[in-house]
Amino acid sequence: MLRKRLGLIVDREKRLMANWTRCRSLIVGTGIAALSHTAAAQTDYYNTDAGRPIRTEDAYPVERRAFELQLAPLRLERAPGGTYTWGLEPEAAFGILPRTHVEVGFPLALIDGSAGRSTAGLAGLELSMLHNLNVETSIPALAVVADVLLPAGAFGPDKAYPSLKGIATKTFSWVRFHVNGQYTIGDAPTVGASNAVHLSRWSAGFAADKTFPLRSLLATAEIVSEQPVDDAEPLEWSAATGARYQLSPRWAVDGGVGLRLSGDSRPWFVTIGSAYAFGLPWYPRR
Amino acid sequence: MGFFSHTSRALIVVSLLAQPARAQWVTTHEQFYLEASHNWQFRDRYMAADRLFNAFDFGHAILYETLWTKPGAPVTELEQKWYDRLTKNILVKPPRVPLEEGAIEIGYVQLAPEAKTMFEWAHVLHRQIYDVLADERLTQAQKDAEVARLIAYYKTRRDVAFSSQPKSMALMQEQPYSLAFRKGYPKFNGLIWAYHWLQVGLYEPLLKGQTVEERQSFVRATVARFWQMLKDPPQKMPHQMPMTAAVAPAFTERYPEAAIIFDNLHSMHDVISDILANPSVPRNRKRAEILLAARRFRDDTSFVVSRDAWRMMAEHMGLENMGGPAVGFLPELPTPTVTYGAVMAHDERTGAMTGFKYGAAVGGEHAGHAMADTGKAKAADTAHAGHAMADTGARSMTMAAHDSGMMDLHMRMLGDPVIRDRIKADSAMLRMMKESISQMPAEHRAHRESLLRARTDRPATSTKSTAKTGTKAPATKAAPSTVTKKPATATKKPPPTKKPAADPHAGHKVPPPKP
Repeated sequence: MLRKRLGLIVDREKRLMANWTRCRSLIVGTGIAALSHTAAAQTDYYNTDAGRPIRTEDAYPVERRAFELQLAPLRLERAPGGTYTWGLEPEAAFGILPRTHVEVGFPLALIDGSAGRSTAGLAGLELSMLHNLNVETSIPALAVVADVLLPAGAFGPDKAYPSLKGIATKTFSWVRFHVNGQYTIGDAPTVGASNAVHLSRWSAGFAADKTFPLRSLLATAEIVSEQPVDDAEPLEWSAATGARYQLSPRWAVDGGVGLRLSGDSRPWFVTIGSAYAFGLPWYPRR
Repeated sequence: MGFFSHTSRALIVVSLLAQPARAQWVTTHEQFYLEASHNWQFRDRYMAADRLFNAFDFGHAILYETLWTKPGAPVTELEQKWYDRLTKNILVKPPRVPLEEGAIEIGYVQLAPEAKTMFEWAHVLHRQIYDVLADERLTQAQKDAEVARLIAYYKTRRDVAFSSQPKSMALMQEQPYSLAFRKGYPKFNGLIWAYHWLQVGLYEPLLKGQTVEERQSFVRATVARFWQMLKDPPQKMPHQMPMTAAVAPAFTERYPEAAIIFDNLHSMHDVISDILANPSVPRNRKRAEILLAARRFRDDTSFVVSRDAWRMMAEHMGLENMGGPAVGFLPELPTPTVTYGAVMAHDERTGAMTGFKYGAAVGGEHAGHAMADTGKAKAADTAHAGHAMADTGARSMTMAAHDSGMMDLHMRMLGDPVIRDRIKADSAMLRMMKESISQMPAEHRAHRESLLRARTDRPATSTKSTAKTGTKAPATKAAPSTVTKKPATATKKPPPTKKPAADPHAGHKVPPPKP
């Protein structure tokens, strides 16, 4: 799936971590490595979602007839020099068909311009659909995702960016592996409001997770390689690790940390989020 | 010619190679439970029991995973290692939330994801019906309507829903692979049957309790009864698969379709255990056998019997062989009247028992039945052979049936709603009473039969006192042995008796003798 980087960079010193909401100097960043997108959003801690807490996800959709709300998925990135970047992207997913879900994301941006005035707004509108091709047997579970980031809001891109993604999941008794690969169509965004969005031309992610079923806990780690949509930019590598935990039958929480492994500046990031699931009402035909 | 020959061969090879791949391309899917105001009510109000069900899910999953992935493992892998871990650890401190079984039975799920989805979907129905019955905001009529809606929702998944037509026991225990699990792993099999006893039995206290306090205490008592079964495995465990019609008669009367679905569900649990445990089913045939059994359990035509026959079958299998009633029980577990895991032959039309295909009777009403196939006769379990009380009682009752004093006694007993409930809850006693009544003069018979049919709304008092015991030692706080040492008390005020040091049941009133 497309990685859309959206960020709210908090130009503050280290103390901002504790008091970021009062900061006066926010700028749009060139990239939060993964505050982004997602196409698979399941409440179950075992069904991983992109960005929650790592970008590489599994091949399973939200259950049919289920709604899932990704509430306050928050990401904080710290670049060398003490610059903090914040991001937020609420999402809602619905299991519309067997093995298929649709999802809508609302990336939000909060920008403090040079004049000292803060501005908040939508940085595009993301629509996606994940279709699981098969459940795992001796054959890995496979899925395809179609996604588009639409030009909406004050900080959205200047045009639509469609992308395609393939996912494979293979489980062994000791560990589960996921492979994700995605490709984005479209030229690099023009300068301006679209600075709020950062896209990659292609990316490939490899993740492994270990489940502790009696504790409803999953530990996971990934390594991701990606080529920014601007071909002049160098290939990027990053690694992340995190955990998902089932708080209650309806609530799952997640948290993770990561590090960019390439480039001159190698920021680290922290992410935390939660998801709530509920079903579609149903009544028998009379 | 050569070209076509090579091409044909190539196509055949490709076709053969593609066959397994096609067979393994599975597209089953999961569906969210029915969203309703009663969601998770049982979890909120009966936390200890709800968590036990989470542990049950683990037990089922680890069983299948072990049988499938460790076919050469010693019997102790399940009978000792996992049994002990389950009963001493996981059941004692069960998980907080429903488990992701796919993360436990990894190999098994990849073998037959369709069967796993069937189980999950039926387990959802199980749990949602607990929720409805536990929801104190709903009237009984509203509960009935909600259960009907749940069943309708369940049946929308025709690809995974169990049939709501009752199936013959032959589907479960008379297939080529049958009985492998119960014979090879009697403790674990008994544990699974005890799980199933509680899973269907727990509907009874929720239905029989007239107030929230009663329902709470009844549920605790039923859970305590489950723990009681785990002592001295597998002797204290159910000797037959618990049938919902026998263990949960009130639930079955009210929601017969759900009861049938759950019996089919529990039967298929046993079938899959047998397929996985039986080495005569080659590993490359196990998936096919599982899918065949699953199809038979889903359709409305295979091995179907009438509802009357299904009820009769459950009655003749004997509640005392299934762990006994879920409410209004005596302090001691009932003595089984068949050997462990015995297979009865039933008349497919009426459901009446006609003999044994495996195992034997060890007393009670089953003692009169011969082996259907005497060549398979097995010596009766000596431990049970000594329990001839039910048999003796039946004979003496028959002899005294015409005695006027005995008839007066019957009248007094049947006139007391507590005793009447107790009799109706114990299938062996009920049968003996019916037999006794049938031999009475006609002028006495009708009145007694009407008394026996009379419905009693008030719960048995013994359950109340049992519940008090359960309250003091809830399952999650007390080790199984604690509960077993203090079994549920059947009477309000057990008379003090001298307590022999070696007898853990000393100090409790001796159960009233059977009539």
